[in-house]
Amino acid sequence: MNSLTALARLTYTELKLVFREPLVLAFVLFFPVVFTLVLGGVFDPDDDGFGALPSDYYGVAYIGVAIGAVGLTMVPVQFAAYRERGVLRRFRTAGLKPWAFPVALLAVSVLMSIVAAALVIATTTLVYGLAQPANLPLTIVYALIAIVSFSSLGLAIGSLMPNARSAQGIGTLAFFPMFLLGGGGPPPDALSPTMRSIANWMPLTHVMRAIQEPWLDLDGGGTNHMLILIAIGIVTVGTATFVGQRDLAG
Amino acid sequence: MTNHSDPIIEVRGLTKRYGATTVVDQVDLTVHRGEIFGLLGANGAGKTTTVECLQGLRRSDAGTIRLCGLDPLTEAAKLAGRVGSQLQDSALPDRLRVGEALRLFATERAAPIDEVLDDWGLTGQRRTAFANLSGGQQQRLFVALALLNRPEVVFLDELTQGLDPAARRVVWELISALRNRGTTVVLVTHFMDEAEVLCDRIAVMANGRIVDRGTPSELIERQGHPSRMVFTPPPTIAIPDLGRLPGVASVAVIGGRVEIDGSRDMVAHVGAALVANGTVPADIDVRQLQLEDALLPLLGAPVAGGAQ
Repeated sequence: MNSLTALARLTYTELKLVFREPLVLAFVLFFPVVFTLVLGGVFDPDDDGFGALPSDYYGVAYIGVAIGAVGLTMVPVQFAAYRERGVLRRFRTAGLKPWAFPVALLAVSVLMSIVAAALVIATTTLVYGLAQPANLPLTIVYALIAIVSFSSLGLAIGSLMPNARSAQGIGTLAFFPMFLLGGGGPPPDALSPTMRSIANWMPLTHVMRAIQEPWLDLDGGGTNHMLILIAIGIVTVGTATFVGQRDLAG
Repeated sequence: MTNHSDPIIEVRGLTKRYGATTVVDQVDLTVHRGEIFGLLGANGAGKTTTVECLQGLRRSDAGTIRLCGLDPLTEAAKLAGRVGSQLQDSALPDRLRVGEALRLFATERAAPIDEVLDDWGLTGQRRTAFANLSGGQQQRLFVALALLNRPEVVFLDELTQGLDPAARRVVWELISALRNRGTTVVLVTHFMDEAEVLCDRIAVMANGRIVDRGTPSELIERQGHPSRMVFTPPPTIAIPDLGRLPGVASVAVIGGRVEIDGSRDMVAHVGAALVANGTVPADIDVRQLQLEDALLPLLGAPVAGGAQ
């Protein structure tokens, strides 16, 4: 069987399996939507601490939160669980290339991130009337870079964790502070300078900023954040590949 | 049919170490096309590591492996579909349905899915998720997946572990049926009765080495005397005379009963002697040595910390 046919079939099967996991779906699809709705409505529209309308600020930030939820909670658990339960070895003995499952999972993660982001955009638009992106092409390109970068971060975490439980623990532990401090929690001017400098070291902050800046026409335009995301993508793909090679040699 | 001139697996000097521990040590194996070959040993003997190397799942530290004439590590793509595998401790995704699993793993060599489901008694489970199958159904699905692409050689690792006795018998029948299809089977097991019933030839592993090999009856004869007779000797018979009968290896009197060990044909000679003597003891007891009796001393204790 052609490697690409096998990959397409595996990706399709994995995508179907994700839609059979109600808890995963609830977390990656509905959690960002519910938070966007709540936060978009609690702040006074005249509050100028956001650099934009609060509903626009949170609506766009939660696209990043959705990407973070997929990359940090869904992908690592899926990868670690398959390795722990011997599903990966089964794929290998069935003649699938060692890269086939990671690539299929990456594809599923990208698709799920796009669906989750689309849900956030649709809901915010319907309820609060989300602003059009100031620079649409750049926003799309940066969002796609963020999605691929965070999906590969998820793969790297999944490949490093010994089992699904630790992958879930680490993923959740990383996700919550990242989304709270990175732009999905309190308004930016409510964060102390220390919190803000911690946030600068958190990858999810750069996802949110890389999308917010070109969309809401904020200072910086998102370029620096996009470059950091590319760096994260390169390092994490390298890590996952290295760990995969090491496991193969075992 | 076994074809001894046509080896399908050839292994020379296979060695695998984890740190300072050598878990597979200079293993040589030849498996012929069409036979059921058993790799038998206690837990920790190195069986699973050996077959994982054979399937290209682990890189060996030394030695050569030829599977269908190919290197399983560097020529894996050419082996896809020609080799089937049921791995130890290897599940499927919980929510994957039986029919989906078969479609996912099918290559162009695959048998029609309906036929496979029917062959393995899974037609009613086509839409059942893996997690909702019974233990026996899961094992049947694993065998079905291993054989789906009509492989030339199939590896079955601890296939009957965790199955109840009735389910084990069913799986045994399925494996025996493979012989008739001409599929070569490598059966990895620590169940000696399983190996004795199913295998044409067996390699016995202990502490990472092959310690004996042969047909089940060869192993039994080599490791002990295959037959034992026990009875209360009639007063008219001279016990030393029994020891001179053909096939008798030893005669002992224990608790008033005589115990005679020897070859299989010894039973006929002792029986004839008893009949000729005119008295057949009512408590005569004949038993054939099982592979387990023969191999237990050979297998020894598993290696401490040995990886499976």
